[in-house]
Amino acid sequence: MCSGNCHKTVIYAGCHLSQMSIKYKTMNFSKFNEFLPTQAVLLSEESRRVYECDALSAHRVMPGCVLLPDSIEQVQAIMSYCHSNDIPVVARGAGTGLSGGAMPHAEGVLLSLAKFNKIIGIDPIQKTATVQPGVRNLAISEAVKTHGLYYAPDPSSQIACTIGGNVAENSGGVHCLKYGLTVHNIMQLKIVTIEGEILTIGSHAFDSAGYDLLALLTGSEGMLGVVVEVTVKLTPKPAFSRVLLATFDDIEKAGNAVAAIIAEGIIPAGLEMMDQAGVRAVEDFVHAGYPTDAAAILLCEMDGTQDEVETGLAEVEELLIRYGASEVRVAHNDAESDLFWAGRKAAFPAAGRVAPDYYCMDGTIPRKNIAEVLSGINALSDKYQLDVINVFHAGDGNLHPLILYDVAIPGELARTEAFGSDILKLCIAMGGTITGEHGVGIEKINEMCIQFNENELKQFHAVKAAFDAKGLLNPGKAVPTLNRCAEFGAMHVHAGKDKFPDLERY
Amino acid sequence: MNNKIKAIQALVASAIEQARPVQIVGGDSKAFLARSITGTPLEMAGYSGIVSYEPTELYITARAGTTLTEINHALTEQGQMLAFEPPHINAKTTIGGVVATGLSGPRRPYSGSVRDYVLGIRCINGLAQDLTFGGQVMKNVAGYDLSRLMTGAYGTLGIILDVSLKVMPLPEFEMTFKQAMPVAKALSIMPGLSARGLPVSASAYDGKALFIRLSGNEKVVKEACKMLGMDEYEQGQLFWNELRDYKAAIFNSDSNVWRISIPVNATLDLKNEPFFIEWGGGLYWLNSKRPAQEIFAMASAAGGSAMLFRGVNQEQDRFHPLSKGLLSLHQGLKNAFDPHGILNPGKMYATL
Repeated sequence: MCSGNCHKTVIYAGCHLSQMSIKYKTMNFSKFNEFLPTQAVLLSEESRRVYECDALSAHRVMPGCVLLPDSIEQVQAIMSYCHSNDIPVVARGAGTGLSGGAMPHAEGVLLSLAKFNKIIGIDPIQKTATVQPGVRNLAISEAVKTHGLYYAPDPSSQIACTIGGNVAENSGGVHCLKYGLTVHNIMQLKIVTIEGEILTIGSHAFDSAGYDLLALLTGSEGMLGVVVEVTVKLTPKPAFSRVLLATFDDIEKAGNAVAAIIAEGIIPAGLEMMDQAGVRAVEDFVHAGYPTDAAAILLCEMDGTQDEVETGLAEVEELLIRYGASEVRVAHNDAESDLFWAGRKAAFPAAGRVAPDYYCMDGTIPRKNIAEVLSGINALSDKYQLDVINVFHAGDGNLHPLILYDVAIPGELARTEAFGSDILKLCIAMGGTITGEHGVGIEKINEMCIQFNENELKQFHAVKAAFDAKGLLNPGKAVPTLNRCAEFGAMHVHAGKDKFPDLERY
Repeated sequence: MNNKIKAIQALVASAIEQARPVQIVGGDSKAFLARSITGTPLEMAGYSGIVSYEPTELYITARAGTTLTEINHALTEQGQMLAFEPPHINAKTTIGGVVATGLSGPRRPYSGSVRDYVLGIRCINGLAQDLTFGGQVMKNVAGYDLSRLMTGAYGTLGIILDVSLKVMPLPEFEMTFKQAMPVAKALSIMPGLSARGLPVSASAYDGKALFIRLSGNEKVVKEACKMLGMDEYEQGQLFWNELRDYKAAIFNSDSNVWRISIPVNATLDLKNEPFFIEWGGGLYWLNSKRPAQEIFAMASAAGGSAMLFRGVNQEQDRFHPLSKGLLSLHQGLKNAFDPHGILNPGKMYATL
């Protein structure tokens, strides 16, 4: 969603187009009216404006046109037409993505799957639900609740984000360590290829014939096909769950405590960490009862039967104290559990309250390096003169530093992006990755050049070509061209001597 | 080990030059699987050893030729396991072979499959390039998920060098239960077991009796066994290991041994042929003399797929036929990784 705090466009479509070898024709998009209902074709500037960015609102492009099909046949017709006429296609769910994966193409079609919002079937014995891609993540869990089931992956935007977008990004959430990512929780996809052909990938059985295209499609960021139906795996709702809150006066102790829990053979349902800046911002906002003098807090959720949870939490409490927690509070009831979670879940809006803008990063690191990475981020914070709040899916090593800035101050956005890029490089250096769950999109395209070498990138391009030889699906996203990496590399050779850090990069 | 990698690259390079395929061999414990092919053998057994294992980071990285025995030993010492319970056919079974075939054991429906636990792969593609995808961290969405794509690709997309797998704690406590019953009753119980919130970690029906394994916290398992109302089976561990390692009677037949994966609530017409069901009703083993096309059609009609696991005739097609659209996508992918068609060509499908 383009929320109210969208700001100026910093990267124009032309910058990305310059990377592409294809020259797109100037299209007359009104042609779509010939085979689509009038209300499915948005051509006016004001109707297209809504779609010019996703939740990475710093990057905006006006789409050539916006199409809102409501049947698979219409999607096939659109794809087939775009394929014949060399028109780029960018698919979009709810637009809540944080990496610009749904940033439109100026000369292309923005394909909104918003009208695909029906639950097709629920099978409580198979523990599956078959849904259209525009169904919201949380709506699935609500629909299957009466069967004692739910859909486990719970990205923070689950109230708004759609399952199609979750598949495209391989979305995670706070319960991934125990329940897995999207890739672990889907059984079957129906996709429409760029040629307009419909393919069924995976099945309702545990194994399927051939290569694991289901895994390949998951997290492929709209580069390989358009998802038009998803069968998700459902999980029995645990009978009982409870959270504890632990306080640490030293972030390294908190990191060691996390490792100790895992070493003990405990896999919590959720294991979250927040630094002092995060705790303070959140506490001012939601009054969750977090100790504002703590260097870090840990939230640990256990689920299962009541016995199992109570035994598990007692074990975790004992461990946390042994590893230096200054205080451990176990929630007495569901309301208190919810309150502990409310603080963590309010971290992003709390950041939005303490600064005009914030930029959310998404690296993953080996857990053992948490203290080192956080001190590295603090050093960068001093270097770039920008504050940062750290929230962390500690259980699976996924770090979300929120860089606080003000876009109205000239140069601050560029400094923020450089800061973010340095954080990602730090994650790679620590043996981690530039994105744990938000995707590469347009945002981390340059850092892909650091994480992967030339041959690896070529392999990605070859895989893309097997699905989309013309490069029409979501062009310029997810995998950088080698030219782009060459330019990016050159930029970095000079980075140390650059006298103009405020210059926009291209 | 760098010399070994260079030697593998050189072998691939000369295979390209001579247009002569390479046949990748791990421990050769699953030689009966898949289509039989010819080519210069590439023995991976010498490329072995655990590269790194960090129990608190929940991952292990091992070279392809590392034996499953060595890996299981290292994990057990730390109270951990491979949660997909891979078949441990003999002492020569390698981790590379486990990942290349993508076969998971009895725990699969409840804990996930091989690919669910693959975090990263280092491989040599068909251009002799040394490539790394994924990594050792739990969450990683940078680039396409090529390490999971290679899982179960039978070496047709790349030669696996190193693989990183997520590991899980060993269950604190396990118990197996057995009760004789007709197949219809077993099939009415098996699919719904985990939806009832029971800590099930395996389920099977051998044609006479239903077997269920519960794993987890001791108190929880003992509570759950009251709900189950079945008798404890003392030989449980042996039973599951024989099933996992393809040692049960169903795997030794003078007719074809079929492995059929279908939705847990779908049914098959078994025509009085010997069968064995596991995975909560999602996996059937069948001894059948029926023609392959008939078995494939039966599996398709049930919404699943069949694989000729152990064939009387080695030359026969082994894997479920792909639709025209999917096959052409598979060929496109094969070409993307191995444009000269020298890595295990024909191992899965004649044209891949």
